[in-house]
Amino acid sequence: MSQDLNLPGSVSTPEIQSDWQAGRLSMQGDSYPENSFDLFSQVIDWVEAFLERESRPLALALELVYLNTSSVKAMMDIFDLLEDAHQAGREVDVVWHYDPRNDRIAELAEEFKEDCTFPFAIRPREVPA
Amino acid sequence: MSTRDRALLDEVETLLAMEAHRDHPLHSALSRLYHRHLEQRDRLERLVNIADGFQQSAQQDLHQTRHQLDRQLRRQRKLSRIADRYQDLLHERNQALEDASSRDPLTGLANRRRINRQLKRTIAESERRGRPFSLAMVDIDHFKRINDRYGHAAGDRALIVLAQALESALRVDDFCGRWGGEEFLVVLPNTDLVQAESMVTRLCDRLRDLDLGLAPDGPRVTASGFITEHRPREDYRDTIRRADRALLSAKRDGRDRLYQAE
Repeated sequence: MSQDLNLPGSVSTPEIQSDWQAGRLSMQGDSYPENSFDLFSQVIDWVEAFLERESRPLALALELVYLNTSSVKAMMDIFDLLEDAHQAGREVDVVWHYDPRNDRIAELAEEFKEDCTFPFAIRPREVPA
Repeated sequence: MSTRDRALLDEVETLLAMEAHRDHPLHSALSRLYHRHLEQRDRLERLVNIADGFQQSAQQDLHQTRHQLDRQLRRQRKLSRIADRYQDLLHERNQALEDASSRDPLTGLANRRRINRQLKRTIAESERRGRPFSLAMVDIDHFKRINDRYGHAAGDRALIVLAQALESALRVDDFCGRWGGEEFLVVLPNTDLVQAESMVTRLCDRLRDLDLGLAPDGPRVTASGFITEHRPREDYRDTIRRADRALLSAKRDGRDRLYQAE
Protein backbone atom coordinates (compact mmCIF):
# COMPACT_ATOMS: atom_id res chain seq x y z
CA MET A 1 0.00 0.00 0.00
CA SER A 2 1.47 3.30 -1.02
CA GLN A 3 -0.58 5.24 1.48
CA ASP A 4 0.94 5.05 4.95
CA LEU A 5 -0.91 6.62 7.86
CA ASN A 6 0.57 9.60 9.58
CA LEU A 7 -2.04 11.25 11.78
CA PRO A 8 -0.74 13.94 14.12
CA GLY A 9 -3.25 13.30 16.93
CA SER A 10 -5.20 15.83 18.96
CA VAL A 11 -6.69 16.19 22.43
CA SER A 12 -9.29 13.58 21.58
CA THR A 13 -7.54 11.46 18.95
CA PRO A 14 -4.39 9.38 19.17
CA GLU A 15 -1.27 9.94 17.13
CA ILE A 16 -1.09 7.18 14.51
CA GLN A 17 1.82 6.19 12.28
CA SER A 18 2.17 3.22 9.98
CA ASP A 19 5.23 1.95 8.18
CA TRP A 20 4.37 -0.55 5.46
CA GLN A 21 8.01 -1.33 4.68
CA ALA A 22 8.91 -2.05 8.29
CA GLY A 23 5.58 -3.76 9.05
CA ARG A 24 4.90 -1.42 11.93
CA LEU A 25 1.87 0.40 13.24
CA SER A 26 1.99 2.67 16.27
CA MET A 27 -0.66 4.59 18.18
CA GLN A 28 -0.23 6.91 21.15
CA GLY A 29 -2.47 9.07 23.27
CA ASP A 30 -6.09 9.43 24.24
CA SER A 31 -8.91 8.35 21.97
CA TYR A 32 -12.42 9.72 22.23
CA PRO A 33 -12.98 11.00 18.70
CA GLU A 34 -16.23 12.53 17.53
CA ASN A 35 -16.39 9.98 14.76
CA SER A 36 -14.44 6.92 15.76
CA PHE A 37 -15.60 5.01 12.69
CA ASP A 38 -13.81 7.45 10.36
CA LEU A 39 -10.65 7.33 12.40
CA PHE A 40 -10.41 3.61 13.01
CA SER A 41 -11.66 2.44 9.62
CA GLN A 42 -8.42 3.84 8.15
CA VAL A 43 -6.39 1.86 10.67
CA ILE A 44 -8.41 -1.32 10.21
CA ASP A 45 -8.16 -1.00 6.41
CA TRP A 46 -4.41 -0.60 6.66
CA VAL A 47 -4.01 -3.66 8.91
CA GLU A 48 -6.30 -5.75 6.69
CA ALA A 49 -4.44 -4.71 3.55
CA PHE A 50 -1.05 -5.42 5.08
CA LEU A 51 -2.07 -8.86 6.34
CA GLU A 52 -3.62 -9.70 2.97
CA ARG A 53 -0.89 -8.49 0.64
CA GLU A 54 2.26 -9.10 2.63
CA SER A 55 3.60 -12.16 4.35
CA ARG A 56 6.08 -10.27 6.54
CA PRO A 57 5.56 -9.93 10.30
CA LEU A 58 3.41 -7.11 11.67
CA ALA A 59 4.24 -5.31 14.91
CA LEU A 60 1.94 -2.96 16.79
CA ALA A 61 3.44 -0.45 19.23
CA LEU A 62 0.76 1.09 21.43
CA GLU A 63 0.81 3.74 24.06
CA LEU A 64 -2.86 4.46 24.43
CA VAL A 65 -4.19 6.08 27.56
CA TYR A 66 -7.91 6.86 27.70
CA LEU A 67 -10.26 5.11 25.23
CA ASN A 68 -13.98 5.71 24.89
CA THR A 69 -16.31 2.79 24.22
CA SER A 70 -16.23 2.93 20.42
CA SER A 71 -12.44 3.14 20.49
CA VAL A 72 -12.33 0.10 22.79
CA LYS A 73 -14.47 -1.74 20.24
CA ALA A 74 -12.21 -0.68 17.36
CA MET A 75 -9.12 -1.91 19.22
CA MET A 76 -10.85 -5.24 19.90
CA ASP A 77 -11.56 -5.50 16.15
CA ILE A 78 -7.90 -4.86 15.37
CA PHE A 79 -6.76 -7.49 17.88
CA ASP A 80 -9.25 -9.92 16.32
CA LEU A 81 -7.63 -9.36 12.92
CA LEU A 82 -4.24 -10.07 14.44
CA GLU A 83 -5.57 -13.16 16.20
CA ASP A 84 -7.00 -14.56 12.95
CA ALA A 85 -3.71 -13.89 11.18
CA HIS A 86 -1.78 -15.54 14.00
CA GLN A 87 -4.07 -18.59 13.85
CA ALA A 88 -3.29 -18.76 10.13
CA GLY A 89 0.42 -18.91 10.93
CA ARG A 90 1.38 -15.24 10.52
CA GLU A 91 3.89 -13.56 12.77
CA VAL A 92 2.23 -10.67 14.64
CA ASP A 93 2.92 -9.02 17.95
CA VAL A 94 1.79 -6.17 20.17
CA VAL A 95 3.76 -4.13 22.68
CA TRP A 96 1.66 -1.84 24.86
CA HIS A 97 3.67 0.76 26.78
CA TYR A 98 2.23 2.58 29.76
CA ASP A 99 3.30 5.26 32.17
CA PRO A 100 4.36 3.43 35.36
CA ARG A 101 2.71 6.19 37.41
CA ASN A 102 -0.61 5.04 36.01
CA ASP A 103 -0.68 1.27 36.34
CA ARG A 104 -4.45 1.18 35.86
CA ILE A 105 -3.62 1.42 32.15
CA ALA A 106 -1.59 -1.78 32.45
CA GLU A 107 -4.62 -3.52 33.97
CA LEU A 108 -6.74 -2.34 31.07
CA ALA A 109 -4.17 -3.55 28.55
CA GLU A 110 -4.34 -6.92 30.35
CA GLU A 111 -8.08 -6.98 29.73
CA PHE A 112 -7.49 -6.50 26.01
CA LYS A 113 -4.80 -9.16 26.02
CA GLU A 114 -7.16 -11.80 27.38
CA ASP A 115 -8.15 -14.23 24.58
CA CYS A 116 -5.18 -13.17 22.41
CA THR A 117 -2.77 -16.02 21.75
CA PHE A 118 -0.18 -13.99 19.83
CA PRO A 119 2.72 -12.29 21.68
CA PHE A 120 1.30 -9.32 23.58
CA ALA A 121 3.68 -7.51 25.94
CA ILE A 122 2.66 -4.83 28.44
CA ARG A 123 5.63 -2.76 29.54
CA PRO A 124 6.15 0.30 31.70
CA ARG A 125 7.68 3.14 29.73
CA GLU A 126 10.92 4.41 31.13
CA VAL A 127 10.35 7.78 32.70
CA PRO A 128 13.23 10.20 32.81
CA ALA A 129 14.20 10.63 36.48
CA MET B 1 -36.05 -53.11 6.90
CA SER B 2 -36.85 -55.78 9.45
CA THR B 3 -35.78 -59.42 9.00
CA ARG B 4 -39.40 -60.48 8.77
CA ASP B 5 -40.06 -58.04 5.91
CA ARG B 6 -36.88 -59.17 4.19
CA ALA B 7 -37.87 -62.86 4.58
CA LEU B 8 -41.33 -62.12 3.19
CA LEU B 9 -39.88 -60.32 0.14
CA ASP B 10 -37.39 -63.15 -0.43
CA GLU B 11 -40.20 -65.68 -0.21
CA VAL B 12 -42.36 -63.77 -2.74
CA GLU B 13 -39.39 -63.38 -5.09
CA THR B 14 -38.61 -67.09 -4.89
CA LEU B 15 -42.27 -68.06 -5.48
CA LEU B 16 -42.52 -65.76 -8.49
CA ALA B 17 -39.38 -67.23 -9.97
CA MET B 18 -40.58 -70.83 -9.78
CA GLU B 19 -41.65 -72.38 -13.12
CA ALA B 20 -44.51 -74.26 -11.43
CA HIS B 21 -46.27 -71.03 -10.48
CA ARG B 22 -45.86 -69.27 -13.75
CA ASP B 23 -49.39 -70.06 -14.91
CA HIS B 24 -51.03 -69.39 -11.58
CA PRO B 25 -53.90 -66.86 -11.99
CA LEU B 26 -52.40 -64.59 -9.29
CA HIS B 27 -48.85 -64.73 -10.68
CA SER B 28 -49.07 -61.66 -12.90
CA ALA B 29 -50.85 -59.51 -10.28
CA LEU B 30 -48.42 -60.55 -7.52
CA SER B 31 -45.45 -59.90 -9.77
CA ARG B 32 -46.66 -56.35 -10.50
CA LEU B 33 -47.45 -55.74 -6.85
CA TYR B 34 -44.01 -56.98 -5.90
CA HIS B 35 -42.24 -54.58 -8.32
CA ARG B 36 -44.49 -51.74 -7.32
CA HIS B 37 -43.50 -52.38 -3.73
CA LEU B 38 -39.78 -52.30 -4.58
CA GLU B 39 -40.21 -48.96 -6.35
CA GLN B 40 -42.11 -47.49 -3.41
CA ARG B 41 -39.42 -48.71 -1.06
CA ASP B 42 -36.68 -46.94 -3.07
CA ARG B 43 -38.68 -43.73 -3.14
CA LEU B 44 -39.21 -43.87 0.59
CA GLU B 45 -35.49 -44.37 1.20
CA ARG B 46 -34.61 -41.43 -1.06
CA LEU B 47 -37.14 -39.28 0.77
CA VAL B 48 -35.73 -40.22 4.16
CA ASN B 49 -32.20 -39.49 2.97
CA ILE B 50 -33.17 -36.04 1.73
CA ALA B 51 -35.01 -35.22 4.97
CA ASP B 52 -32.02 -36.40 7.02
CA GLY B 53 -29.70 -34.24 4.93
CA PHE B 54 -31.84 -31.19 5.52
CA GLN B 55 -31.99 -31.86 9.21
CA GLN B 56 -28.26 -32.28 9.44
CA SER B 57 -27.55 -29.04 7.63
CA ALA B 58 -30.11 -27.23 9.78
CA GLN B 59 -28.38 -28.59 12.83
CA GLN B 60 -25.01 -27.44 11.57
CA ASP B 61 -26.44 -23.98 10.95
CA LEU B 62 -27.89 -23.92 14.43
CA HIS B 63 -24.61 -24.98 15.94
CA GLN B 64 -22.75 -22.32 14.00
CA THR B 65 -25.25 -19.62 14.95
CA ARG B 66 -24.99 -20.58 18.60
CA HIS B 67 -21.23 -20.45 18.37
CA GLN B 68 -21.38 -16.98 16.80
CA LEU B 69 -23.84 -15.81 19.41
CA ASP B 70 -21.60 -17.04 22.22
CA ARG B 71 -18.67 -15.27 20.65
CA GLN B 72 -20.63 -12.03 20.27
CA LEU B 73 -21.82 -12.24 23.87
CA ARG B 74 -18.28 -12.79 25.10
CA ARG B 75 -17.08 -9.85 23.05
CA GLN B 76 -19.92 -7.66 24.25
CA ARG B 77 -19.16 -8.51 27.85
CA LYS B 78 -15.48 -7.82 27.35
CA LEU B 79 -16.27 -4.51 25.66
CA SER B 80 -18.58 -3.42 28.49
CA ARG B 81 -16.09 -4.47 31.12
CA ILE B 82 -13.23 -2.54 29.54
CA ALA B 83 -15.41 0.50 28.78
CA ASP B 84 -16.65 0.56 32.38
CA ARG B 85 -13.12 0.45 33.68
CA TYR B 86 -12.11 3.34 31.44
CA GLN B 87 -15.07 5.26 32.75
CA ASP B 88 -13.98 4.58 36.33
CA LEU B 89 -10.53 5.78 35.38
CA LEU B 90 -11.96 9.00 33.97
CA HIS B 91 -14.08 9.48 37.04
CA GLU B 92 -11.03 9.08 39.29
CA ARG B 93 -9.10 11.52 37.14
CA ASN B 94 -11.90 14.06 37.49
CA GLN B 95 -11.97 13.59 41.23
CA ALA B 96 -8.22 14.08 41.45
CA LEU B 97 -8.44 17.23 39.32
CA GLU B 98 -11.35 18.53 41.33
CA ASP B 99 -9.42 17.85 44.50
CA ALA B 100 -6.24 19.45 43.16
CA SER B 101 -8.10 22.54 41.99
CA SER B 102 -9.70 23.12 45.37
CA ARG B 103 -6.70 22.56 47.61
CA ASP B 104 -3.74 24.71 48.46
CA PRO B 105 -0.85 22.66 47.07
CA LEU B 106 1.54 23.56 49.90
CA THR B 107 -0.53 22.92 53.01
CA GLY B 108 -3.23 20.69 51.59
CA LEU B 109 -5.85 22.95 53.16
CA ALA B 110 -8.82 24.21 51.15
CA ASN B 111 -7.97 27.07 48.81
CA ARG B 112 -10.16 30.13 48.24
CA ARG B 113 -12.22 28.37 45.63
CA ARG B 114 -13.17 25.64 48.03
CA ILE B 115 -13.59 28.01 50.97
CA ASN B 116 -16.09 30.07 48.95
CA ARG B 117 -18.01 26.97 47.97
CA GLN B 118 -18.09 25.70 51.52
CA LEU B 119 -19.12 29.09 52.87
CA LYS B 120 -22.13 29.23 50.56
CA ARG B 121 -23.25 25.88 51.95
CA THR B 122 -22.66 26.97 55.54
CA ILE B 123 -24.73 30.12 55.01
CA ALA B 124 -27.60 28.21 53.44
CA GLU B 125 -27.56 25.73 56.29
CA SER B 126 -27.33 28.42 58.93
CA GLU B 127 -30.23 30.38 57.42
CA ARG B 128 -32.35 27.28 57.05
CA ARG B 129 -31.89 26.33 60.69
CA GLY B 130 -31.77 29.86 62.04
CA ARG B 131 -28.42 29.14 63.68
CA PRO B 132 -25.53 31.59 63.95
CA PHE B 133 -22.11 30.95 62.48
CA SER B 134 -18.82 32.74 62.92
CA LEU B 135 -15.76 33.38 60.85
CA ALA B 136 -12.21 33.87 62.02
CA MET B 137 -9.23 35.18 60.12
CA VAL B 138 -6.01 33.92 61.68
CA ASP B 139 -2.80 35.56 60.63
CA ILE B 140 0.68 34.48 61.68
CA ASP B 141 2.53 37.51 63.04
CA HIS B 142 5.80 38.60 61.39
CA PHE B 143 5.97 35.53 59.22
CA LYS B 144 8.19 37.39 56.78
CA ARG B 145 10.96 37.30 59.38
CA ILE B 146 10.96 33.50 59.31
CA ASN B 147 11.34 33.50 55.54
CA ASP B 148 14.07 36.11 55.73
CA ARG B 149 16.02 34.33 58.40
CA TYR B 150 15.59 30.64 57.56
CA GLY B 151 14.79 30.78 53.87
CA HIS B 152 11.55 30.17 51.99
CA ALA B 153 11.80 26.37 52.09
CA ALA B 154 11.90 26.47 55.91
CA GLY B 155 9.07 29.00 55.85
CA ASP B 156 7.03 26.62 53.72
CA ARG B 157 7.67 23.76 56.14
CA ALA B 158 6.60 25.98 59.04
CA LEU B 159 3.38 26.85 57.21
CA ILE B 160 2.64 23.14 56.77
CA VAL B 161 3.13 22.53 60.51
CA LEU B 162 0.88 25.50 61.34
CA ALA B 163 -1.80 24.36 58.91
CA GLN B 164 -1.81 20.85 60.36
CA ALA B 165 -2.06 22.19 63.90
CA LEU B 166 -4.92 24.45 62.89
CA GLU B 167 -6.83 21.72 61.17
CA SER B 168 -6.40 19.19 63.95
CA ALA B 169 -7.69 21.67 66.54
CA LEU B 170 -11.04 22.10 64.81
CA ARG B 171 -14.31 20.37 65.63
CA VAL B 172 -15.93 18.00 63.15
CA ASP B 173 -18.14 20.59 61.43
CA ASP B 174 -15.57 23.40 61.50
CA PHE B 175 -13.66 24.14 58.42
CA CYS B 176 -10.49 26.02 57.57
CA GLY B 177 -8.53 27.01 54.51
CA ARG B 178 -5.52 29.01 53.43
CA TRP B 179 -6.78 32.43 52.52
CA GLY B 180 -3.48 34.02 51.56
CA GLY B 181 0.26 33.80 52.36
CA GLU B 182 0.14 33.19 56.10
CA GLU B 183 -3.53 33.98 56.54
CA PHE B 184 -6.00 31.25 57.39
CA LEU B 185 -9.76 31.46 57.34
CA VAL B 186 -11.67 29.41 59.90
CA VAL B 187 -15.41 28.78 59.55
CA LEU B 188 -17.27 27.83 62.71
CA PRO B 189 -20.85 26.68 62.00
CA ASN B 190 -23.45 26.78 64.80
CA THR B 191 -21.17 29.05 66.78
CA ASP B 192 -21.96 32.52 68.12
CA LEU B 193 -19.37 35.19 68.78
CA VAL B 194 -18.87 34.25 72.44
CA GLN B 195 -18.16 30.59 71.66
CA ALA B 196 -16.03 31.61 68.71
CA GLU B 197 -13.88 33.79 70.87
CA SER B 198 -12.91 31.01 73.23
CA MET B 199 -12.40 28.63 70.32
CA VAL B 200 -10.07 30.96 68.45
CA THR B 201 -8.21 31.97 71.58
CA ARG B 202 -7.43 28.31 72.15
CA LEU B 203 -6.41 27.97 68.53
CA CYS B 204 -3.97 30.89 68.72
CA ASP B 205 -2.55 29.50 71.99
CA ARG B 206 -1.97 26.24 70.29
CA LEU B 207 -0.13 27.87 67.40
CA ARG B 208 2.00 29.83 69.83
CA ASP B 209 3.20 26.61 71.52
CA LEU B 210 4.12 24.98 68.28
CA ASP B 211 7.65 23.82 67.47
CA LEU B 212 8.07 24.80 63.85
CA GLY B 213 11.20 22.70 63.50
CA LEU B 214 13.23 25.64 62.24
CA ALA B 215 16.16 25.29 64.68
CA PRO B 216 16.77 23.78 68.11
CA ASP B 217 14.96 26.12 70.45
CA GLY B 218 13.93 27.90 67.29
CA PRO B 219 11.43 30.70 67.25
CA ARG B 220 7.80 30.28 68.14
CA VAL B 221 5.20 32.30 66.34
CA THR B 222 2.27 34.30 67.56
CA ALA B 223 -0.97 34.72 65.69
CA SER B 224 -3.52 37.46 65.46
CA GLY B 225 -7.12 36.63 64.93
CA PHE B 226 -10.24 38.51 64.06
CA ILE B 227 -13.59 36.94 64.62
CA THR B 228 -16.95 37.98 63.38
CA GLU B 229 -20.41 36.54 63.31
CA HIS B 230 -22.20 36.31 60.02
CA ARG B 231 -25.08 38.81 59.84
CA PRO B 232 -28.40 37.52 58.58
CA ARG B 233 -28.77 37.94 54.81
CA GLU B 234 -25.22 39.25 54.55
CA ASP B 235 -23.23 38.13 51.50
CA TYR B 236 -20.46 35.82 52.71
CA ARG B 237 -17.95 37.92 50.76
CA ASP B 238 -18.92 40.92 52.86
CA THR B 239 -18.45 38.92 56.06
CA ILE B 240 -14.97 37.97 54.90
CA ARG B 241 -14.21 41.55 53.86
CA ARG B 242 -15.20 42.79 57.31
CA ALA B 243 -12.96 40.23 58.92
CA ASP B 244 -10.09 40.99 56.60
CA ARG B 245 -10.29 44.78 56.93
CA ALA B 246 -10.54 44.61 60.68
CA LEU B 247 -7.61 42.22 60.80
CA LEU B 248 -5.46 44.71 58.92
CA SER B 249 -6.32 47.61 61.17
CA ALA B 250 -5.95 45.40 64.24
CA LYS B 251 -2.45 44.47 63.14
CA ARG B 252 -1.53 48.11 63.13
CA ASP B 253 -2.54 48.28 66.81
CA GLY B 254 -0.32 45.40 67.82
CA ARG B 255 -0.18 41.66 67.31
CA ASP B 256 -0.68 38.42 69.21
CA ARG B 257 -4.26 39.39 69.91
CA LEU B 258 -7.80 38.47 69.24
CA TYR B 259 -10.22 41.05 67.99
CA GLN B 260 -13.95 41.08 67.67
CA ALA B 261 -16.25 42.88 65.32
CA GLU B 262 -18.20 45.77 66.75
